Formats: sequence, C-alpha cells, structure tokens
Amino acid sequence: MKIPRLRFERRLSSPQWLQVAALVVSLLLAMLTIAVIFYALGVNPLIAFQRIFRGGFGSVYGLKETVTKSIPLMLAGVGLTLAFKGRMYNIGAEGQLFMGAIVASGLALEFSEWPAYILLPVMFLGGFLGGALWAAIPAILKARFRVDEVLTSLMLVYVASDAVKYLVYGPWRGTDTRGFPITDEFSAAAQLPRLIDSRIHYPTLILALLLAVLIYLLVARTKLGYEIRVTGENPDAARYAGMNYQKIALLVMLISGGLAGLAGVGEVAGIHFRMRPPEGISPGYGFTAIIVAWLARLNPLAAILTAFLLGGLLVGGDAIQIALNLPAATVHVFNGVILLFVIAGELFTRYRIRLEF
Amino acid sequence: MRNIVFRFILLALAAILLVTACAPKPTVTQPPVAPPAAGQPPVAPPAAEEAKLKACYIYVGPIGDIGWTNAHDVGRRYVDDKYEWLETAYAESVPEADSDRFIDRFVVEEKCNVVFTTSFGFMDATLAAAQKYPDNYFFHVSGYKRAPNMGTLMADFYQLYYLNGLMAGALTKTGKIGYVAAVPIPEVVRHINAFTLGVRAANPDATVEVRWIFAWYDPAKARESAEALIATGVDVLAFTEDTATVVQVGEEYTAKGQPVYTFGHYSPMAQFGPNSLISGQLVNWGLIYEDILTKIYLGIYTTENLENVDYWGLLSGGWQLGAPSSVELGGEFGVPFNPAFADALKAAKITDPLLGEISIYDLVSKRIEQMKDPAVLFEPFSGPINDQSGALKVQAGQRLSYFELNTIDWFVEGVIGSAKP
Repeated sequence: MKIPRLRFERRLSSPQWLQVAALVVSLLLAMLTIAVIFYALGVNPLIAFQRIFRGGFGSVYGLKETVTKSIPLMLAGVGLTLAFKGRMYNIGAEGQLFMGAIVASGLALEFSEWPAYILLPVMFLGGFLGGALWAAIPAILKARFRVDEVLTSLMLVYVASDAVKYLVYGPWRGTDTRGFPITDEFSAAAQLPRLIDSRIHYPTLILALLLAVLIYLLVARTKLGYEIRVTGENPDAARYAGMNYQKIALLVMLISGGLAGLAGVGEVAGIHFRMRPPEGISPGYGFTAIIVAWLARLNPLAAILTAFLLGGLLVGGDAIQIALNLPAATVHVFNGVILLFVIAGELFTRYRIRLEF
Repeated sequence: MRNIVFRFILLALAAILLVTACAPKPTVTQPPVAPPAAGQPPVAPPAAEEAKLKACYIYVGPIGDIGWTNAHDVGRRYVDDKYEWLETAYAESVPEADSDRFIDRFVVEEKCNVVFTTSFGFMDATLAAAQKYPDNYFFHVSGYKRAPNMGTLMADFYQLYYLNGLMAGALTKTGKIGYVAAVPIPEVVRHINAFTLGVRAANPDATVEVRWIFAWYDPAKARESAEALIATGVDVLAFTEDTATVVQVGEEYTAKGQPVYTFGHYSPMAQFGPNSLISGQLVNWGLIYEDILTKIYLGIYTTENLENVDYWGLLSGGWQLGAPSSVELGGEFGVPFNPAFADALKAAKITDPLLGEISIYDLVSKRIEQMKDPAVLFEPFSGPINDQSGALKVQAGQRLSYFELNTIDWFVEGVIGSAKP
C-alpha cells in the first residue's frame, strides 16, 4: 500500500479572493481552537468571546483604551509591514521601541526647559533615529555579512531592555523617587497632550495614521517601493535587475526601526511622562506588532485596522481575566494562536497543496 | 563611499547615546513623609450587617509564584474566607504599563469599593485613580504617595534579616556569606544591611558579598549567582527573589557534601532545604488587610482620612500597639529555625555589652522579644554604624529614622558590592 504524500506546488499568482479566504478561514480556525481552550478551562467560549469584545469595543471606556493601545501597535506594525515586505524579518521592534524611549527620555530630561513646540518634535525625531539606528545593526550585519537578522534583531531586544534597566537603576534614577528605579517626571513641555478624559495621546495617533498612509504610498506608488517589493519577492531577481540589495535592506530596517522608536516616544511622553523599567514601558508591543503586520497581510493601511483589533484584544483580555477569573496567560495564548494560524494560512495562498497517491 | 555612510551612522548612534546618557537629573526636594498613622482602638469583628464591601487586588506577578504575589493572595483569601460581608477579586501578572486600565475596570465595571495595588510600579496609577474616583478607597503596597482616599502599607523584613544574619554569622565556617539580590531599591538595600549587621554582630570579621540579578523573578539568574558566590568560598546564602531556587542550590551542594546553608524568603521554603535551610522570613499580609478592611467597614477609615495612614508591619505589629506581628521568623510558620541547627547555635557564643556572654540561640530569642515589645527595645539600625568606606554614618546612640530606612542607598561595613550598581 502506498502512503499518500502531501505535495506543495508554488502558485504563480495568488488571487485576491484566495488571500481573503485564507485569512478568514485562518481566523475562524484560530477562534475555534481558542474556543476549545476556553472550554477546557471550564468557561463557555461564547461568553468569553462576548466579554472580550465588550471589554475592548463595547463601551466608550473600552474604546478609548483600545485606541490608546493601538497607537504603539500601529506605529511598530506599520513599520514592520515595510520590513517584511522587503523580506527583512525584523523581530526586534520591541528593542527599537525601547531605544526610541531612551533617546526621547534623555532629551526630555536634558532639555526640560525647552518649549513644548520645539522639545516634542525633537523628541520624536530623536526617538525615530534611536529606533532606526538600533535596527541598522541587524540590517548592516545582514546586508554585509549575511548574518540572520531574525536572530540579531531579537537578541538586540534584550540589549535594549538592559540598557533601559541600566539607565533607570543607574544614572537616570530620579531624585524625587525615593531610590526607586524610575526617572523624574518629564517637564510639562515634554508631555504629550491627551484627548479629554482618556489616555489617547493624539499627536502620536495622528503621526501613526499619517505614516501608515505615507508608507502605503511609498510601497504602492514609488520606484523605491517597487524595488522593495521585488527584493522581497525575489532577492536574486532584484540583484540581477541591478537593484541595490544592501541599500534596500538597510532602508526598510531603518524605517521600520524608526517607527518602532516613535512608538517608544509616544509611550514615555504620552502615557508615563517618565522612563521606567522596560516591562513598565511596553508589555510587548513590539512583538504584538508582528501579529499586526501579518494580520494586515503587510498592507500598511490594513495595519491601522489590525492594530485597532489587536489593541481591543489586549484590552478585552483584561476583562476575561477579571470577570471570568481566567489566568493572565490566556490572552497570550490567544495572541499566539492567532499568529500561528494566520502565518499557516499564508502557505495556502503561496502554494497549491495536493495529495498524491 | 558606503563605508563612510556606515561609519557616520555608528558615530551618530554613539553620539546620541552619549548625549542622552549624560543628561543631568534635575534636583527636586520632597518634604519628608509623615510618620506612620497613630493606632486606632482595636477592632472587634463587626456584626453581620446588610452592607457589603468589595475589595479588589492588582498583582504584579502570577499568584502561582512562591513569593510576593502568592503571599498577597494568601492574605486576600484569608480575609475573603473570614468575613461574610466581604467579597474579593484579583487580577494577576498586571504589567505596570497597564495598571491604570485594570484599576479603572475594577472600579467602574466590577464595582470594587477598595482597590489594593501590590507593586511599587503601580504607585502613580493608583494615585491618579484615587484622584479620579474620590468615593473609592485605594491602598498601595510599598510606596510613599498618599491621598485622602489612598493609604499605603508594607510589611518589612529588616528585623528578620538581622536575626537571620546573627545565625548566618554564627554558622559560617569560611567567614564568607553571599546574598543574591533582586533589584537595587531601598527595600533590598535595607535588608542586605540589616542582614550584614546581624552577621557582624555574631562574627565581626565575616563579609556579605552581594550579586544583583536585576529581576524579582528569575530562577536561572538566581541559580547562576548562587553558584558563582559558592565558587568564591561562600557557605551561607540569603536572597531576595520570588522562587526557592537559592534554597534548592544550597540543598544540592549540601547533599553533595559541601554544606551551603540558606534562608527562605517570603514563603515557607523549609521543604526545599530540609538539611540546609536555617531559617527565613515570612509574612502575613492577611492581618494588615483585615485591619484595613474592618476599619473601612466600621467607618473608621473614610475616603477623607487616609492621607496619613501608612502601615509598616514589623515584629512589634508596627501599626498599633498590641497588633499581631505581620512578619514572622522562620522557614515555615511556627518554626523559627531548623531544629537541626539548634546545637550549633547554642554552641556559638558572643559577648554582648549589655547581655554578657550569650549564645546565638539565646540572643535570637532575646532580640525577638525586644523587637516585639511595643517600645521596640532593640533596633538593628542603631549607631555606631559605618558605611563600606569605614566612615561613621550613624552616631552612637542614634537610630535610623523611618524615612532614612526607606530611602537608604548605601551599604554598611562588611558588605562587598555596590548599592548603586
């Protein structure tokens, strides 16, 4: 008897309907898997989903928090769509976010007496540079020495995180914090305004939306965007066509790192008004942004929507912990399952799968 | 050409880091905090009434750890089981960045009357919530900011660390003691100091070497640090970290024939070191929670009089005369030290200026008795105390104040390592 074999055939093109269908089916399967997990935990999955949805989107309060959460996810996620499009697997957005936060905090503490209209733009600019240059390290290593950027960008997250720790425990530890590891509060000039009665620091939100549109235009409408797409699809072909692989690899990493850096600026200047230990600045936005980018199928405009969805999921996740007494880790399982299915679903858009007897 | 670009980028990175790293910190002075609130009359358990109270807890770690968060959850369950009128809820592993939202949700959607936030990092969020919800009660653990409807509480181990230090000093053979330390904040620095003062009271030449792991929960780093310390000749270990790792390391070495003795931290850890754990520090948060919640229930605490309510749980009860101790010496409740070490502790003798020749065994009991006394007849941080450089920091006859203990950022003589790494 012959054992049937799975055969993968590369599709020459993948139609739009298939991409949408793969996404929808992936999400449905993910939900089903999660439902089984809820069921195993002794919770009615329908009630759990309803609580998550209500927690994230079902009230003005939940919506405000969802938007707040979506800001760093959007910035980092939009940046990652570009990097992934150019086939640079930047896993280190979290570290780039920390570097943005470090530079912005340094500027805020150093130049606290500057007026807001100078200080805040300088902080954003510095934060962008901080994140971009942090991303440049894996980019250069990849472009020049062929070092796998997945590994280097991920490892640099821990370096950046330790740099934050060093600063808050060391030279930047505040003078009015009783020895606790936080910096002093930023001056009023370094604090971003928020929408009334919420934590939505709207300048960062506007910046994020604007950048999403810009990156979309860059990819869809410019020669450079075309080069990025070709490089991403087939680096060898791009090289034969005379495109500068090193330039493109560096560029997409710089931009994606810079955007993650901006997310870090938004967190310290819009939420905390100071720098704190890394787990206090970001509960993993840079990693969740990877899901944002993939879920958006690397479309920067779609990333606005997926950032909002993932933000809602994070916010709604609190609700199920509090209301249904589920362990805190449930939400992480939730996110992980979704990413797994979405990436697995990708396979079906790229390959035709046959059973061979 | 490209080389120049790359170099420029690296230079710019270095420059940015340099500029930002050198940023000076503005000096702001903070008025000293008010002393702990004066005691209120003891509270009898209230009679059953219609009124209900809902208390909600925000934890920084998972309740399944074997340290800080678990101890708070034991306290929560204690009050929850004891009082019919009390309902409780909790959220675990709450990131500091998200604590605002959890507090909001507890107040707005879960209708919690009282919110306890159990990590220093939640301080600003708790204060903001106290201002936002003036009709709710807030209590923050381990911080210093208060409001009319926000009090603070802490159960502190420094007296227990001193007692542990006495035993460590008596039992070390190499004269080298190690301390695996979580993060450099005043609480941990205070504990290392108290431990070292105890060590040197029993053994004036012994040293305490500190290894920072920069984490509250990191069994891998705790093991690495413990083993590194043992490699330098350390034969007794104390620690601050939320697992029993250091105790397990001590037990492993002891079983291999190289005795390394340890002290448990936060939870009963005797089971992990039956042959090597000497003693440890234990907490009973439930007693403090009980005091707070019954006082709110009886109307003694209102949303207008918490400004000076600051619990500081010590052996003497700490917040009111005659209150039970919220901290306890031992590796498990009811057992102040491992009986296997009783003979060795009885054999170790020192000469105390007041007590004369006395065994460490008796000295520990004596010090417990003195520190449990409402008048606190003994205080570990009594001068003369030198810092690491040998300079006199606390004059003879002086004691460190509550404020000084809570902001301490220097090590006493005998500690090897930096308090500001």
